[in-house]
Amino acid sequence: MEASITLKKVGKLVENKTILAGLTFGVERGSLVAIVGVNDSGKSILLKLLSGYENPDYGQVFIHGLDIQKRRNETRKLIGYVPYENDLDPWLTIEQNIKFNANLYSIPIDICNERIKQYSKSLRLEPYLNEYSLKVSGGIQKKAMLVRSLIHDPEILILDEPTGYMDAESIRLTWDLLKKIKGDKSVIYVSNSLNEIENAHDRILVFHEGRILMDGHLDNLLKSTMEYHQFQIEFESLDDKLYQQLKSTPTVVSPNRLDNIFHFYGRTRTVFFDVIKEASNHMMIDLNVKKLGLRDLLDSEFAGRGLD
Amino acid sequence: MIKAFLLRRLWLWKNRLVPSIFLFLFMPITIFIMIGIPLKNIIRFSISGVPYDVWVFPGLIFIIGSLAIYPTIYREIFDLRVHRKVLLNIALAPYSKSQLIFGNLCVSVLEALTICFFSIFIYLSIVPITFSFTDFILLLFHLILYLFLVGNVYILLSVSVDAITSMFLSSFILIIFIIFGNGFLIEFSFFPSFIESILKYNPLSFSQKCYQRLISTGLLDWTHTIIQIMLIYILFLINGILLKRKLRQ
Repeated sequence: MEASITLKKVGKLVENKTILAGLTFGVERGSLVAIVGVNDSGKSILLKLLSGYENPDYGQVFIHGLDIQKRRNETRKLIGYVPYENDLDPWLTIEQNIKFNANLYSIPIDICNERIKQYSKSLRLEPYLNEYSLKVSGGIQKKAMLVRSLIHDPEILILDEPTGYMDAESIRLTWDLLKKIKGDKSVIYVSNSLNEIENAHDRILVFHEGRILMDGHLDNLLKSTMEYHQFQIEFESLDDKLYQQLKSTPTVVSPNRLDNIFHFYGRTRTVFFDVIKEASNHMMIDLNVKKLGLRDLLDSEFAGRGLD
Repeated sequence: MIKAFLLRRLWLWKNRLVPSIFLFLFMPITIFIMIGIPLKNIIRFSISGVPYDVWVFPGLIFIIGSLAIYPTIYREIFDLRVHRKVLLNIALAPYSKSQLIFGNLCVSVLEALTICFFSIFIYLSIVPITFSFTDFILLLFHLILYLFLVGNVYILLSVSVDAITSMFLSSFILIIFIIFGNGFLIEFSFFPSFIESILKYNPLSFSQKCYQRLISTGLLDWTHTIIQIMLIYILFLINGILLKRKLRQ
C-alpha cells in the first residue's frame, strides 16, 4: 500500500536530551495506527513532528511524499491535528471555533455547515454548538476539537488522546466516527487507554525512550508471548518470607506483589502448580489465570528484558 | 486568512457586545475629560501659537489608537500563546508566520481605526474645531502608519515576553512612554534639552509630527514617512522570525 507518512532517521533533542532517536517508519494510507508507551517516552513529540507543529532536529518527515519542512503549506492542508490540551478560543462558541478553522483553510461556508452538521450529529455535539467553549466540559471540548480538525477534510488525522476527558458514551461515538473515516483517512493516535487501543488499531507502535520497541498488529505483537500466561494468587497473608520463597521458584517469571496478591508470569500452566506446591501451607483466598494482553507487553519489565 | 481573523474579531465583539461597546466608548471620553480638558487649562497654546485643544486633538486620537490596538494584540499574540490556545492551532494552518503576523496586525489596525473614528466624532461634538474632510484623510493616513508601527512594537513585546507580570510591567512602561514621550500631549520643547534631543528621534512620534507639520505648513515629510514604512517592514520581519522561534517551528 502507498505510504501516507514516512519518517527517515528522525531525531528530536530537547535541551540536549534525546527525545526521539533516529526513527524510521512509514504509515500506510487509510490505516489506523495507535502509538503507546510510558509517560515521557516521546509519543506526543512524535505527533507534533508528524503534524508539522515542531521540526525534527535531524532526519526528514514526508507526508504523501512531500517533505514536511520544505513543502510546509502543501502538507499542512493534508493534516488535521488534535492536541492533548484544549486549545479552543474560550470566548468563541464551539461552532465559531470550528468555523474559524474552516475560514483559515478557505472552506466554502455551505460545505463547512454541512460538515459541522454531519460530524456534530455523529458525535452528538449539536446541543453544544452555541455554547462558549470555556463553559462546556472537557469531553465536549475534545469532541469540538475533533470536528475542528476534520473541517478541512484532511487526509491524515493526528490525535493526542482522542477520547481524553470523555464519558463512556462519547468514547463510543468518537470511535464509531474514527473507525468510519478510517480507510478514507489515515488516523494516527496516542492513547493511554489500552482497552481502546486493543479494540481500535491496524497497527500498534510501542514507544520506549524515543525508540520503537514493538511494531505491528496486536496479534503479531503477542505472538512471541502466546505461550505465556499471567497468574495471580491472593493470600490471606503474604509475608516477606513467603514472597521471597515464591519468587525464587525457578519457573516463575517477573514476579511482583501488591499487598497480599502474588503476581507472576509463566511459560506453561504447570508453573502455577509449582507455586501452589510452594504455598500449600498458606491460606489462599483467590486465584486468577489469564492470557497476556497489551498491558503486559507494556510492563516495563517486559519491555526491558522480555519474559525470558 | 485576513477574512478568517476579521470574522473571528467580529464574533468576539458580538459575543461580548455590551461590555466591548461600553469600554470602547468610555475610553475616549475618559481620555478627553481626564487628560485633554485639564491640560488645556495648563497649556493654553502650542509653541507655534495654536490653541491647545486644537493642537492636542490628533495627539489624543493617536493615544486612543495606541490604547485601542493593545488589547487585541495582547490577546491574540500574548495571552492565547502563553495559555496554549488558538495561536498554536492557527500556526498549523498553511500560512507563514509573517503572514500570520500581518493578518493579525491588519485586523488589529482596522479595529483600532474604527474606535478612532468614533473618538473623532465624539471629540468634534465636544470641542468646536474646524476639521475638513482633507484633514480627516490626512489624519487617517498618518494614523494607519502609526498604528502599524505601534502594533508591530506591541507584537514584538508580546512575542518576546513569556511571563504575565513582566508583560504587564513592560506594557505599562511602554504605554506611559507612548502617552507622554511621543509629543502627543506635551511638545518636546517642554522637556529638558537633553531629553528632547533623544525623544525627537523616537520613531513612534514621527506620524503625529508629520501630520502636525502637514496641516500647518502643507508639506509632507517624506523622510520620516519612509523611515516609518521601513521600520514597519523590519519589525514585521523580526516578529515573524521571533514567532517562528517561540512556536519552535
